[in-house]
Amino acid sequence: MLPAMLPRQPVLDPAAAYPRIAALRTALDSGDWPACREILDAAEPVERTCLTTVAADADGVADFLRGVLRGDPADGAAGALLGRNLGGTPEAERILVDAAARSPYDPAIWTARVGTARSLGLGASEARRRYRRLAAIDPHHLPGQSAFLHHLCAHDAGAAHAFARTAAAEAAPGSLNPVLIAEYHLDRHLTGDRRHLAAEEVRAEIAGAADRSVRHPEFRRTHGWVQATSTFAMAFALIDDQTAAASLFASLGDFDSAWPWERLGDPATVISRYRKRASGGER
Amino acid sequence: MITRHEVDGVPAVLAPADGPMHAGLVFRVGTADETLPLRGITRLVRHLVTAGSGTIGPEHTSFHFSGTATGIADFLTGVCAALRNPPADLIAAARERMATVRDRDPLPMWRYGARGYGVASYPEWALPGLTADQVQEWIAGYFTRENAALWVAGELPEDLRLDLPSGSRRPAPEAVTVLPATPACFPGDGGAGWDTVVRREAAAAVFANVLERRILHDLRDGDGVVASARTEYEPRADGTARILAVVDAAPDQREAALGGLIDVLAAMRAGRIDTDEVDAVVKLTCDGLRIAEARGARLPGQAFNLLGGREVQTLDDALTEVGAVTAAEVAEVAAAAYNAGLLMTPGRVRADWAGYLPAPEMSDTVLPGRVHRGRGDRRLRLISGDQGISVIEGDVVGTVRYDSCAALLAWPDGARQLIGQDAVMARVEPTLYRDAERAVRDVDAWIPARLRIEMPPRARDRIPRPRPAAGPDTPREGLRPLLTLLLAGTFAVFVVAGGLWVLATMIAESARHGSGALTDLGEYALVAAASILFGTFAGRLAVDAAVELRDRRRSRGAPGHE
Repeated sequence: MLPAMLPRQPVLDPAAAYPRIAALRTALDSGDWPACREILDAAEPVERTCLTTVAADADGVADFLRGVLRGDPADGAAGALLGRNLGGTPEAERILVDAAARSPYDPAIWTARVGTARSLGLGASEARRRYRRLAAIDPHHLPGQSAFLHHLCAHDAGAAHAFARTAAAEAAPGSLNPVLIAEYHLDRHLTGDRRHLAAEEVRAEIAGAADRSVRHPEFRRTHGWVQATSTFAMAFALIDDQTAAASLFASLGDFDSAWPWERLGDPATVISRYRKRASGGER
Repeated sequence: MITRHEVDGVPAVLAPADGPMHAGLVFRVGTADETLPLRGITRLVRHLVTAGSGTIGPEHTSFHFSGTATGIADFLTGVCAALRNPPADLIAAARERMATVRDRDPLPMWRYGARGYGVASYPEWALPGLTADQVQEWIAGYFTRENAALWVAGELPEDLRLDLPSGSRRPAPEAVTVLPATPACFPGDGGAGWDTVVRREAAAAVFANVLERRILHDLRDGDGVVASARTEYEPRADGTARILAVVDAAPDQREAALGGLIDVLAAMRAGRIDTDEVDAVVKLTCDGLRIAEARGARLPGQAFNLLGGREVQTLDDALTEVGAVTAAEVAEVAAAAYNAGLLMTPGRVRADWAGYLPAPEMSDTVLPGRVHRGRGDRRLRLISGDQGISVIEGDVVGTVRYDSCAALLAWPDGARQLIGQDAVMARVEPTLYRDAERAVRDVDAWIPARLRIEMPPRARDRIPRPRPAAGPDTPREGLRPLLTLLLAGTFAVFVVAGGLWVLATMIAESARHGSGALTDLGEYALVAAASILFGTFAGRLAVDAAVELRDRRRSRGAPGHE
């Protein structure tokens, strides 16, 4: 088969849209801590938190990061990266307890700790306490809001919906945060209630959220814009609002994000199919 | 200004005081000196000697009184007279007056086991059975002139006489931990708590106060997950101090309270201690010391010092010591405190995720000996040997060695509970094990009378029953094993015979028709297999019933038991 005959493969690597990710990966792989810090320190808070998640998929960097922490236990960036690298394990949490103790105002650490509260089953009140700590530092920290929403969705759908609505309403017009509404409805749809997205008020709420976010005139392509746009595109695609989906796919251009599409199967395949369907190629 | 005196051979500290005059007589005896079979005896002595106020700590017992000089002299003279001639006929009345102690502090047991400083965590099981001789002996050992100190806030009453029996100074018991490693954690049944043992010094007292402020600031005022919290600093005679933190949270906030407490402790251990906060606590502590000095409230502590062989500390010395405490010193205490910490988690929530090792809840060894299998419960086993008792339930092991047994609880119905010095318990419930009466006889023979605590009779519903019913007490249930044996036995014989017959037919058929007819034989095979399976099952029931019947016949024949 000739390469030209292959359908366009979605670009799922976030490094394509965000060059700093590639730079951080290189710095981590080469064990260059000053370079890592330079990249992280230059980033905006949300971007920095998202950058720390790069360590989750980086192999063989744990010993390097442990060494950095031995040299400077107060290095919160190293703590956040190591916590991410170790996944939702007790060892990760121990690193994060100490990191939070030394850098109590680091949103990347508290975002990671919202995640470990869920993965280690530390209880609803503890997850909320951790989110509140984060919100006290940055009330609109989308990665942490997303992690907390993830926790709430698993335990209390009502609280999850209320949280998504409040976080969306309180965010600035054109920001990414209203994507939490789409995330919430997609989760309801995918974890059981397959008719959830058919409800008229759900469709209206998703459209309203998109209007305040990715479709707002003040929307800017800040870090996370690809996943937010892609999430809205998925919501519209599943609602069967192909026009809205097509418009968002168009604004994504060559970029796509694996999450949340991977919840439907192999993300590249699923995205290709839905992109095609939205463009009228498959009905 | 505190001055030293002596009254009838008892060392005394005296200081003028604002407000009403008060005084106290202190003895170097407390709950840490008790053993489980004597648990509560110090409190009984206190109630026997006076209906007035007094306190009992791990190391000290105080009798104190506030009033006129004559009133104080009368009170203390009365205490000494009662100690010299304890009114044996009033023991029962004193016991009646004593309210049951609730809210026992569970942390000491997890750190020290069932002896010494750990005894305070246990109920006063022995109290109803304490004899006049035991009380007399306890008084003679501890409530003596050489083991006493006096403090007086105000003038020394002229006619004060302390006519105490002579004895010897009793040093505080050695604190021996049972924790294999720290920081450790254990599951409590309510709120979260934490304690630690550090060097006794002003910086440690300041740390305890900074910790309380930090918990209240972060968890009550900030996170809103804690309703109240307090810390305590308890200096001990051996040059250490225990620091305790107790956190109260609503049931739905307990996990957050635990997480928050873990974070506060980690932050302080990491050295995040605010100089302003330390300065504020130092100032408050100094103010408190001055007020305490003026009211005579520093005197009891100085009396404890005398009993511990320490010098009296003047206010100036105390102020200097506290005033010199720096944030760096508090951080040092915080790190030591963290490393020696014991965390009580709410319910079954663990804290190993935060680096706290679960304190051992059971034994790691099973002793050799005669095995008694559980009645109707294959997971239960009781092992009785000449070194001690092991009780096994699934993978939980409770082993108590006879040479390190702290107490034996004995119920009239035959149940026995051994408590090891490490606080591990082994319970011998005669209803749960086959031939358990032999194990009870072993235990009774091995454990000396001084470790034995007679327990009141248990209500019938408190006596455990073997899992699948079949208790020996009602006639209907008494017939059940016999019926089971007959029915299941007959059923087994018939079904197995039928199955074998079908099998035989099947083989004969297949031989006659050759291999082509095998498909028809599938049904025969199924029937044969099923009947053999059912037959085996019924057989198993029959065998179990037979064993039960045999056990019962034996236990009926056993002497000395109902």
